[in-house]
Amino acid sequence: MARITAQADKTWMSKAAFYAMLAPALILLMSTTYPFLSGIYTSLTNQKLYIPASKFVGLNNYINLFETPLFWNGLANTLTYAGAALAIQLPLGLAFAILLDVPGRLQSFFRSAVVLPLLVPPVVAGLIWKTMMHPQSGVLNWLLAQVGIEPLSWLTSPSTAMMSIILIDTWLFTPLATIILLAGLQSVSGEVVEAARIDGADAWQVIRYVKLPLLAPYLLLVALFRVSDSLKSLEIIYSTTKGGPLDATRTLHVMAYEEAYRWSSLGRAMTIVFVLWLVCYTISGALLAFWQKQEAKNRGL
Amino acid sequence: MFSSLFRRGLSRSRATVAAALVATSALSLASAPAYAEMNWKAADGQTINLMLISHPFVESLKPLLPEFTAKTGIKVTYEELAEQSGFEKLLADLSSKTGTYDVFMTSPLNNWQYAAAGWLEPLDGLIANTDKTAADYDVNDFIPSILSAGRWDLTPLKGIGEGSLWTLPINFESYQLAYRPSLLKKLGLQVPKTYADLLAMSDKLAIDGPNGKMHGIITRFDRYWDLPYLTFGTMLQSYGVEMLDKDGKLQICSDKSIAATQDFVTLIKKASPEGAGAFTWYEAMQGFASGQYVFSLNEANLFAPTYEDPKQSAIAGDVGYAPTPLGPDGKRAAAAWIWSLSMNSASTHKDAAWLFMQWVTSKETMIKTHLAGNMNPVRKSAWDAPEVAKLMESWGETPGQYIQAAKTEAEVATIRFPPHPELTRMLDRWAEAIQKSYFGQGDVKTNLCNAQADIQKMLDE
Repeated sequence: MARITAQADKTWMSKAAFYAMLAPALILLMSTTYPFLSGIYTSLTNQKLYIPASKFVGLNNYINLFETPLFWNGLANTLTYAGAALAIQLPLGLAFAILLDVPGRLQSFFRSAVVLPLLVPPVVAGLIWKTMMHPQSGVLNWLLAQVGIEPLSWLTSPSTAMMSIILIDTWLFTPLATIILLAGLQSVSGEVVEAARIDGADAWQVIRYVKLPLLAPYLLLVALFRVSDSLKSLEIIYSTTKGGPLDATRTLHVMAYEEAYRWSSLGRAMTIVFVLWLVCYTISGALLAFWQKQEAKNRGL
Repeated sequence: MFSSLFRRGLSRSRATVAAALVATSALSLASAPAYAEMNWKAADGQTINLMLISHPFVESLKPLLPEFTAKTGIKVTYEELAEQSGFEKLLADLSSKTGTYDVFMTSPLNNWQYAAAGWLEPLDGLIANTDKTAADYDVNDFIPSILSAGRWDLTPLKGIGEGSLWTLPINFESYQLAYRPSLLKKLGLQVPKTYADLLAMSDKLAIDGPNGKMHGIITRFDRYWDLPYLTFGTMLQSYGVEMLDKDGKLQICSDKSIAATQDFVTLIKKASPEGAGAFTWYEAMQGFASGQYVFSLNEANLFAPTYEDPKQSAIAGDVGYAPTPLGPDGKRAAAAWIWSLSMNSASTHKDAAWLFMQWVTSKETMIKTHLAGNMNPVRKSAWDAPEVAKLMESWGETPGQYIQAAKTEAEVATIRFPPHPELTRMLDRWAEAIQKSYFGQGDVKTNLCNAQADIQKMLDE
């Protein structure tokens, strides 16, 4: 009898322990799931900041959004921004990482120097660049004039504004790619490199055939970070162009911000945010699937 | 003197003056000691927090804040932000009802949303309460129409000037054509009287200056509501355009509106630099003060103290002021902007907040801010104050030129828009159509008519 009780106690204890250990995960899950679900619900209402009562409107917000030409323009801007950020920053970060991986006397200086932009808050970086890009009084046009190039409009013309904010994003975030890839390069074991050298590989061949394949997970990590960050980017755009001139840099995140904080329309803002989430989720998912396929292929070899 | 902007409230103000006189005499008989009960130290030791929007007014106020703390024992903290970010942050705070900002800078336009939401403390009761308001506050000293622009009875599209008072004015602006006399002389041109005159000279304004090529015209031209509401709005209204006609029909793609927009786009294309499509008021003010332009078209007249201050401007002593040009029918109309202070209904320091509001808008403090660059006065006593008059008299190519231009403008300046909580969204959409036309995306008529259709939908919602 006593043994049975002890056993029951034990089951009870282990059950309690089980739930106690599960609790943090459950709380974490709740704290992310609840806002997410309530956000989706808000996107199905006409909720406005200045009207407390809101009405359920079904998919109206989504239908209206997809019918607005500005939405498709915003989606295109968002994808352009993220695509360009990745296409420029990944190779550039890799190039810097390879250069910084070469042992030399100034290596540690350059390593610290390259991280500096990461310490600048994006809003501050945006404001600094906005000043430098001023068409009349900015230093960039002054520099261009010194080498005889016509001044650019930078942030103030619809044809150059997107390019300009991508430039700022590149200045700010290439260092992130660089340090991750540098860490990757340095994790390549010396023995593998030595073996390749003995087999007669030159420096380029070591990078191309030994280091790069081993770097693949790091490249994917950078790609994931940069794509998801730049799809959601707001600070640089809002501190420089606020989505303009006209709609040249109006991304989905800027549109959602405007809906909420210029026009008080939470319902519509949440609709855009949810669409943006779907875009992020799809692209990140595709990247991960691509990686898993590569991994499987590598293991197969 | 300032009839249109000022006349609207006159009939009411007469009634108010009469009522106030009766009330004052009754009080002096019955409860004269009540005045003694108004105690500036009533909220001693409290702290209030302000949301200030960067503006010459704020520069004039900051040095005076220690005086307020000394007088009342109330500590004042504040956040100062640029206009768009400030309003956005304010909206986030007001809607969450946390009461972070006890008092904030606003305007009748913004208040149409805030008041509808119940975020503003109505002020009539406080002004009438002799325990809380100083006997010499004298609310009837405010220019009646400017004060009554802060009243609204919460009826969409009408009722401005009726109902509760939501805000106290601290300055008002109308618009003007500022010019550089020395440059016009060099170019052999006269100050244009009409938009047609200005258009005719728009491609003759390029001139070489000490720092490279100079441009003809600067004005704000961003994709936001202030474009059709204020600066270009003044041009639109002089062409005879109002957002809604008498029957409540939108006039955004009327022939007159199309003509005004076409002329405006032509002016900017011919006489403004590349990048003009992104100028905010701040860039317009700085740009003209830096001496790179011949004209500042329809910009706020309260930039004059900045232009005239050699510390902030490269053109001090070489600026002239003229009323905004006349429209095709010889008509002049102008917009008005009234910076105001309102109290957060979620504030937990309402007594301290009210003491602050009445101190800022009192006769003495107002005059001190005007002398430090806060233009234009909203109290009659400030217009009559000799030191303010003397300062304003000195501005312009000839003595009294600024005052003359400001008075001419104030004759026709008023708020011609229907009060509506979503007016800024509608005007943003209108501004987008004007910008599209400037950047060559579609013709003026199609852009304006598309905007009108969208805005009609917003009105129907």
